[in-house]
This record gives sequence, C-alpha cells and structure tokens, in this order.
Amino acid sequence: MSKETPLLPERDTREAALFFVVCALCFLAALAALSARATYDAAASWTAEVQGQVTVRLIDADRRGADEARDLVAAVEGVKQARILSSEEIETLLAPSFGAGGLPAGLPLPLIVAVETEPGQRRLAPDLQRRLTEAGIEARVDAHETWAGDVRRALGVVRLVALSTVALLGATAVAVIAFATHAALLARRDIVEVLHLSGASDRFISRLFERRFWVLGLKAGAVGALFSLAAAALAMSMASSSSSRTGLLPRLSLDPVDLLILIATPIIAALAARIAARVTVIRSLKGPL
Amino acid sequence: MSIGNPDMILDFAVRLDGISLRYDSSEEILSGVDLELKPGSFTCLTGPSGAGKTSLLKLLYLALEPSRGEVSLFGRRTHDLSRSALSLLRRRIGVVFQEFRLLDHLTAYENAALPLRVAGQRESDYRSDVEELLRWVGLGGRLDAPPQQLSGGEQQRVAIARALVNKPDLLIADEPTGNVDPDMSERLMRLFIELNRRLGTTVMIATHDLTLIRKIEAPVLRLQHGLLVRDVEFGSDVA
Repeated sequence: MSKETPLLPERDTREAALFFVVCALCFLAALAALSARATYDAAASWTAEVQGQVTVRLIDADRRGADEARDLVAAVEGVKQARILSSEEIETLLAPSFGAGGLPAGLPLPLIVAVETEPGQRRLAPDLQRRLTEAGIEARVDAHETWAGDVRRALGVVRLVALSTVALLGATAVAVIAFATHAALLARRDIVEVLHLSGASDRFISRLFERRFWVLGLKAGAVGALFSLAAAALAMSMASSSSSRTGLLPRLSLDPVDLLILIATPIIAALAARIAARVTVIRSLKGPL
Repeated sequence: MSIGNPDMILDFAVRLDGISLRYDSSEEILSGVDLELKPGSFTCLTGPSGAGKTSLLKLLYLALEPSRGEVSLFGRRTHDLSRSALSLLRRRIGVVFQEFRLLDHLTAYENAALPLRVAGQRESDYRSDVEELLRWVGLGGRLDAPPQQLSGGEQQRVAIARALVNKPDLLIADEPTGNVDPDMSERLMRLFIELNRRLGTTVMIATHDLTLIRKIEAPVLRLQHGLLVRDVEFGSDVA
C-alpha cells in the first residue's frame, strides 16, 4: 500500500526561512542556557570555596603569639582545622599585586592563620574575634562574607540576564512560529476551506499544522543545538589552551546537565512550535482568515 | 424521467426561513428567501449569472452564514450548532464546486477519497470503492494523475467523485456539467438521479443547461436578483 500524501503540501520556501530563524533562535537560546548554567556552577563553586574559610590576620604578633592564636582558634567548637600560613604561601597570595619580580626585600609579611570551619558555621567569625580579643590577641577575623556577597550578587545578575535571554529568545521563537503559522494558513486557505467543507473539524486541521511545525521545530532545534554544542566545545578548547588566568570566569563543561540542555532544546522548540501552531490555527479558524 | 424518493421520514432535508444575505455593506445578494426541500427530493436551481445561485448553495453547504433568517438541515437549526457539530453535519453533504477546488498536490484518487480520509476511515477500507467510483466516471486510468495533468472535464469528474464518495444525504452541485461533453453530462445526471432514487439522497443542482433541466423533469427554482421568483413543478416551464 502506498504512503498517503500529506494533506498540506510538503515544499514551501517560506518554511525554509522559518527553519533558519528557529534554528538561529535555538542556537542562541541553547548557548544562553549553557552560559546560565556555567555561571550558576561557577557561583556555587566560588561560594563553596569561600564559605567554610575564615582568615585571622594577626597584628603586632610574633611567631609565638601566632602559635597561641592558632591553638586558641583550633580549640573553638566548629573549627575543623587552623594553621599558620607559611611565608611562601603568603608570598604566593601577594604575588598578583607585586608582579613577576616578587616581593620587595625587607617587606614585613603579615602573620595569617587560615581557619577551616565545619559546614554550616556561618556565625563563627564574630565568636573567634571575641575570644581572641578576650585573650588579649590583636587580630582581624575575616569570613570573606563581604566579598562572597558581592560575588553572589554579581553572579545573580549575570544568571538573571542569561535566563531572561533564554526566555526572550523562547518567546521570540513562539511569536515567529505563530506569525509563520498564520501566514501558512492564509497561503493554504484554499486547502483549509476544502478540508472544512469536506467535514474536517478545526481540531483535524490544526493537527495538520501542528504536525508540520512540530517536525520543523524538532529539526531546527536539533541543528541549533548542534551548533551551540560546537560553539561550547570551541570555547572549552580555547579556554583550556589559554595560559591566562580564567578562574573567575564561568567555564563551559559539557557535563550531563549541559548535554541534557542540548537534548531538551529541540524538544522544547518542537513543543513551542506545536502549541503556537495549534493556538494560531484554532483562533484563525474561528474568525475570518 | 420523473424522480424523487417519497419514503423519507424527516419533514425536510433543507429549510430556509426568511434568508437574506449580504457581504459587508454591499447590497443584498439574497432577499427573504424561503425554501423547503423534502428528503429524497431532486431540485434544480436556475437563474441568470449574478442572481445569487452560488451564494444560496454556499448557505446550504454551510460555507456562509445568512445575514438574516434561519438555515435548517436534516431537522437541525444550524445557527444553534457548535463548530464540531457543523463539521459532522458537513460530512452528510456532498458538494461539487463550480471551480472544482481540487487539491493540486494530491492525485485524482486522493482528491476523490478526501472526505473519507477526513472522516478518519482507513484507506484499506475504502480504496476499492474509490477506485470503482473513479472508473465509473471514466477516470480508471488516471487514478495517480494530479489535477494539473487532467483536463477541465476530468477535473470536474474527480470533483463529482469526491462529492459522491461518502454517499451523502444531501448533494449540492454548482454547474456540475459545465465542463463535460453531452454524453458525460447525461451520464453524470443519471448518476445523480440514481443516487437520489436508490439512496434517497436529496439533490440540488444549479445549472444553466435548460435542455438538461427539461430532460430531468425535476422541480425548478428560479433566482433573479436575489429573489426566489419562480418555484415551478417541472423544467418544461423554464425558458
């Protein structure tokens, strides 16, 4: 038995243009989603790194005073580990400020106790500060909260922008498809009328368009996702080969969640196309075309 | 040949009560038309070009809504029906359009089978019936031809096959013999008459062909300037 010819003609140059537009929108949306996710990951990683760490900078203290301060801090409940940073470690920390030539000779280095806290100890810094003061040790306790808060806020804004971009691109795709569906409906009004007069229900006719745009969305979304995969792979390759410090930048990873985003892109595009087509056709059929 | 099936139970297949029709703000195309077609009746509609014949037929096959008045089909007022109910009602109506309205990307066979496909029937269930119908209208060798490869007469026969394929309760034809030779014309009219007699199909045909009307001996309605001005018993009265 031969395969039935689709009731809507298969070839349409307008659909080629629509395919390109949806493909480009899916590419941008997938890339924006990947960036949003990378930013989210980076934020989580930086925050996790900063949280759980407290720095105690000792003022006017010698090595003995530092040992005393370290022992006092280590004995506080909620402290996992406390150790005095070596001169080399402090020089490494300060190196970005002094460049390749290293620290000037004779520059006094501060004594710093690095404290690792147990998880969830977010109120430990004031307690340490109080205990050190009571013990007569002059020190500044820093829980990096101000810096971490700034980073979180900045990343929140970046994430919001990325998610808004995804939403805007999605809405644009739906609007474009709705417009294209209406144009297709007008262009095929003769077919729609014959189908109607042959007893086809609105639902039957809308399903024809839904199927058409579902397939178009799926194909265009898949191509767009493939392009964004290629773009992400290129960005990763460039980042890994770069010698510059990119630790603070969101890094694309292409882990399972990223791959899920890429797989979901054509499905979401197809669903959006289908729903847009359905709503447009049903609305158009109820009014004058 | 006298025609008409008296064994139908319904009071009427079609009833128009005080129908008026105008497009936008133009003059009325139809004015105060009252019409009743008994089930199983065979009626011809005639009148000069622009008299409103096609508009009247469009009201009957539910492609238009009247500006005033009421259309009832098979005992149901169409104004009260939902869109899905109207779709189901349309499946009981076969229409032969004046301009054929075949779908260019489908073959003759697929065009003829369209109402069955729309109704959700399986192709394996209807294929032989559709092929037989197309053979009957002389298109047995043109099943796979698209409309562009068919002559005007052949296209018209495909359109007729499409109108008849689901054995409609009401058959409406707008100049169905306009593009066929006299032999085919008479053959098609015999088919319409046979449908009317055997299946009780209510038939309304709009035509200019007075010779044909006289042969059929069916009641004739005459439209002029949107008014149903003549409702005579037989075509012999039309001149």
